[in-house]
Amino acid sequence: MYQIAGYIGRKTFKSVNHILDLFAFTYRIFNLILQRPKEGRVLVRRVMLEQIYFTAVQALPLLIPIALIVGSMLIVQFARISNQYDTGTTMVLLIVRELGPGITALLVILRSATSVTIEIGYMKIFHEIDAIEMAGIDPIRTICLPRLIGITSAILCLFIVFDLVSIVGGYGVVWSFTHIDLGDFLGQIAKAVSPTDIIVGIVKALCFGIIITVTCLYHGFSIKKNITGLPVATSKAAIKCFFYCLIINVVISIIFYM
Amino acid sequence: MKLIELSDYTLPPTGTGSGLKKFHFTLSKGDICYIQADFPDDAHLFLRAVALLAHSGSGTYRFAGEKIDFSDHTNLLSYKKKIGYVTNDASMISNMSIRENLLLMRYYFENSLSLDIDDNVKNLCTVFDIYDKLDIRPGDLRPTELRSAIIIREITKSPDILLLERPEDFVGQTKFNFLIKLLKKMSLSGLPVIFISYDTDFIKEFSNRKIIISKGNLTTVKD
Repeated sequence: MYQIAGYIGRKTFKSVNHILDLFAFTYRIFNLILQRPKEGRVLVRRVMLEQIYFTAVQALPLLIPIALIVGSMLIVQFARISNQYDTGTTMVLLIVRELGPGITALLVILRSATSVTIEIGYMKIFHEIDAIEMAGIDPIRTICLPRLIGITSAILCLFIVFDLVSIVGGYGVVWSFTHIDLGDFLGQIAKAVSPTDIIVGIVKALCFGIIITVTCLYHGFSIKKNITGLPVATSKAAIKCFFYCLIINVVISIIFYM
Repeated sequence: MKLIELSDYTLPPTGTGSGLKKFHFTLSKGDICYIQADFPDDAHLFLRAVALLAHSGSGTYRFAGEKIDFSDHTNLLSYKKKIGYVTNDASMISNMSIRENLLLMRYYFENSLSLDIDDNVKNLCTVFDIYDKLDIRPGDLRPTELRSAIIIREITKSPDILLLERPEDFVGQTKFNFLIKLLKKMSLSGLPVIFISYDTDFIKEFSNRKIIISKGNLTTVKD
């Protein structure tokens, strides 16, 4: 009994410690945004643009078909059960509020979070972080900060693209199977979308971006100098990102909708 | 004037070494020190400590008289910039070309990406036979070419101290003589060097001080 209690206690302390480490790391990176030294701005900007290109632009060929499939699927199913009158409202409820941010975050975790963890871990193992420091350059400023801004901006943009494509594109895919007039459909959506939905979507995208970036950077930097730790850290980072995003999703939904 | 002073410094063991127990070490301009150690890992650990890449939490490190505060890694950056680090664990950034690696410091501190390597760097790249490989990534170079690029990067950042680990293996015998000439020229200007080498001729010709690391104890002897 004591052993079980001790085990639970140790695990709890470890988890709390880990969460506090993540907060401290996030604070450290945000502090750099406020400091804004002149040196290295072009380098930081270049890395940020590369990250946005990789996370957002290169993800579009994957995101758009997924959005179309999800949107079409939902419209087909809800058109059958709701006599086509509540489809727009239901689409807003599901896609704009929940599925849009969730699926976008999952896609970014699978593509970008794992890549960033592997890249940072590799740099740590092969002393590239040391090489950056020996050049007198702060690795947190040139590696972490542009990735935080890049991934967060990319998630926000991808989320907007997902919502538009799944709703309008989804309708376009199934228009022959439903009898909803496009004007009525869009009118239902326009009535159902409230400023709260837009704010919630933006807040979720920002929170997901920060959580995903900080978690995968933290796991990348935490790798001991051993290549066998790399796959373990990558899978831990991906699972934790997904889990934290789910929790934050629920918390934000509860705060704004209850 | 003492450029570096390590007081009451202790370093935990790494690899097969025995670590370094409380030692005191000073380095002044013109000192060319070679390290003789029981274990190569201890010698390497000492170089990492001088390069501010290893620190145990006890002891004081003074650089040009200023005590270094290890509580925040950003405090160390301005000192690390002044140390040339040419060892087995020195590396280049793998997702940048050799040219970008050589220009990384300038990109950052001059805040511009439209720079090119200067004539001195071009000449060194030509001598070390990597001039036609500047736009290739480090992963596509041979090991000796990569190490040559690392030497060029560290030498051309005009360091206040140079740390070398087995330079004879770093560039290969064909380029080693040129490297010796280059190092001698740099040392004439008073550049302090700490190096590890198994080439006895190079040690005799180049060094004026010996650092002995035995059973975790560090002592220095004038040659």
